[in-house]
Amino acid sequence: MNRRYTRQHGFSVHYASILFVSIILLVVSFAVALASGSVDLTFEQVYASIFCPSSCDISSVHEKILWQIRFPRILMALITGAGLALCGAILQSVTRNPLADPYLFGISSGSALGAVATMALIPGAVLSVTFGALIGGAFSVALMLTLAGRAASHVERLLLAGVAVSFMLSAMTSLILYYSKPEIAASLLFWMMGSFSNSQWHELWLPYSFVGIGFIIFLFFRRWLTAIQAGEESAHTLGVPVRRLRLFLLIICSAITAVLVAHVGGIGFVGLMIPHVCRFLVGAQIHRILWLCAVLGATFMIWVDIISRSLLANQVLPVGVVTSAVGSIFFFVILKSRSRRDID
Amino acid sequence: MATTTTILKSTGLTWQVQEKTILDNLNFSVTHGEFVGLIGPNGAGKSSLLRCLYRKIVPSQGELTLLQQPLAAFNRQQLAQRVAVVLQEPPTQFELTVYDVIAMGLTPHKRLLDFDTNSDRETIYRAAEQVDLALKLEQNFNRLSGGEKQRTMIARAIVQQPQLLLMDEPTNHLDIRHQLEALHLARNLNITVLVSIHDLNLAAAFCSRLLLMHEGKIVADGSPAEVLTEANINNVFGVDSAIDRHPYHGGQRISFNLELPQ
Repeated sequence: MNRRYTRQHGFSVHYASILFVSIILLVVSFAVALASGSVDLTFEQVYASIFCPSSCDISSVHEKILWQIRFPRILMALITGAGLALCGAILQSVTRNPLADPYLFGISSGSALGAVATMALIPGAVLSVTFGALIGGAFSVALMLTLAGRAASHVERLLLAGVAVSFMLSAMTSLILYYSKPEIAASLLFWMMGSFSNSQWHELWLPYSFVGIGFIIFLFFRRWLTAIQAGEESAHTLGVPVRRLRLFLLIICSAITAVLVAHVGGIGFVGLMIPHVCRFLVGAQIHRILWLCAVLGATFMIWVDIISRSLLANQVLPVGVVTSAVGSIFFFVILKSRSRRDID
Repeated sequence: MATTTTILKSTGLTWQVQEKTILDNLNFSVTHGEFVGLIGPNGAGKSSLLRCLYRKIVPSQGELTLLQQPLAAFNRQQLAQRVAVVLQEPPTQFELTVYDVIAMGLTPHKRLLDFDTNSDRETIYRAAEQVDLALKLEQNFNRLSGGEKQRTMIARAIVQQPQLLLMDEPTNHLDIRHQLEALHLARNLNITVLVSIHDLNLAAAFCSRLLLMHEGKIVADGSPAEVLTEANINNVFGVDSAIDRHPYHGGQRISFNLELPQ
C-alpha cells in the first residue's frame, strides 16, 4: 500500500504512528517526572498512590509529595509546553515566518512587564499577577498594532513592530528591576527565568481553560490556516479574510501567552522550536502540526522540568535556562540532520 | 443562450492611487467560454485589473458585475466559489505537499468544521490526474519545477470549480514546453479564462480575444488579428514588428525588429 493510497482514504499511517508514539512518550515522561525528584519514588509507589490510595502501601509523606507538589507542577509544565508550542505554530503559520513565536511579537515581554510591574509596584496588590500579565500582553499587542499603523496588514512591518515593542517592554521591565529593592529584584529575576516550583492545583484551571479553548479555536480555523501558508494574496483568492484572521489569532495567542507567563514566568524557545520539529515530522498540514505540537510541547516541557530539578543536587535550576540550553542543542541536532537529508 | 452569457462586465472601471490613475475608465465584457488574453507592456495595469476582479483592491469608480450581479454583492466565499485565481509562482515558506496545495481549492466550498470526504479526495486526485501530477501528490511543493508548480496551481483552480479563471502571467519563468503546457491546460478546462500574458505570439496562438492595455487604458479589444497589428504594437510597446501567418496554427506570427526606434 503506497502513501498516495493511504492519503486517498484520508488517513496517514505515518502521521498516526508518530502521534501514537508521541502520546506514549508523553505518558512515560509524566510517570518518570512523578517518580523523580529530590525524593526518588519507585514506579510502584507512583502507581499505588494513583490507583489504590487507600488499600496500597504508601507513606503519607510520599503521597503528599506526589499529590501536592509533583502533580500540579507537572500538569503546569505540561500545559505550558503545549500552550507555547501551539502559539508558536499559529504565529508561524499566520505570519508565514518560521522565526515567529510569542517572544518575537513582544507578547511575552508585555506579559512579563505586566506581571513584574504588578509584583514590584503594587505589593499585596488587589490586581493579581495573572491580571497584570494579561493587561501587559494586551498592551503589547495594542502597541504593536499602533506602531505598525496601516502597515499592520504587511507581515514584515508587523514583525518589525513586534520586535521593537519586545525590546521597549523588556527595557521597561529591566528598569523596574533596577529600581526594585535587591530582595524583590532577586525574586523577580528568578520568576522571569521561569519556574514551575510554586504551582498549585487551584492555579491550573486558568491555563488549562485558555489553552484548551485556544486549541479548539485553532483547529476550527485549520482550513484557513493551511490556505494562508501558500501566501496572503493566494489565501484571499480562496475567500479567507487574512487580515482579520491574523489579528484574531494574534489576540488569542497573546491571551494564552499572558496567562502562561503569569503562572510560570518567561520561558522561551519552546514556541519557536517545537513547531519546527513537528513540521519536520508530519509535514505542513496545520491540524496535524497542532495535535503533535500539543503533545510534544508538553513532553518537552516535562523533561525540562525533570532536568531542572535533577541536574544539581538540592537545587532547582530556572526552567527558562534549561529550555534554552536543551532546546538549542536539540534544535541544532535537528537542523544538522535535516541539512544532511537535504544534501542527500 | 448559455454560450453568450456575460460572465464579467466592467463599466467605467477606474482605480487611482493618490493622484495617479492606474486604471482609467475600462469598459469591456467577457462572455461564457471565452479565453481572453490581457496584453500590454509592464506597468500597463494588467495585474491591477486582475486584482480588482478578485477584489484584492477596490476600484475608485465604475462598476464590475460578475454573472449579472455587482461584484460587491458576493461575500468572500461566494466570490471564491465563482472566481479562481492562478497567481504568479506562489511563495511558500513551509513544506506543503502537492496534495495540500491542490486541496486548498476546496476552501471556499467547505464550512470551517467540515472534514474532507472521500469524494473530495477523489476530486483532488482527478484534478491532479488532469494536470499529470497524480504520481507526485505526496511530493514537497517547493521541490517541484516551475512548470509543475504552475500545473499544481491550475489543479487547485480546477478543484475550486470556478466559472471564471483569472491567471496572472502564468507563463513567467517557464521554458517554452511548460509555457505551452500551462496554456493548453487552461484552454482545455472549458471555462471562461482571463489571462494576462507577456508573450504576444503565445497570446495570438491561444486566446480567442485580446485586450490590449496601455497606461491604464484598454486601447484595443478584439480578435488577435484585430488587436495585434504592427501599428498597435509600435504605439504601445514602442517596437517595430512584422506580422505574418504562423506556419503551425495559422494565426498571427509577430517578428520583432531588433533595432529600437529612436
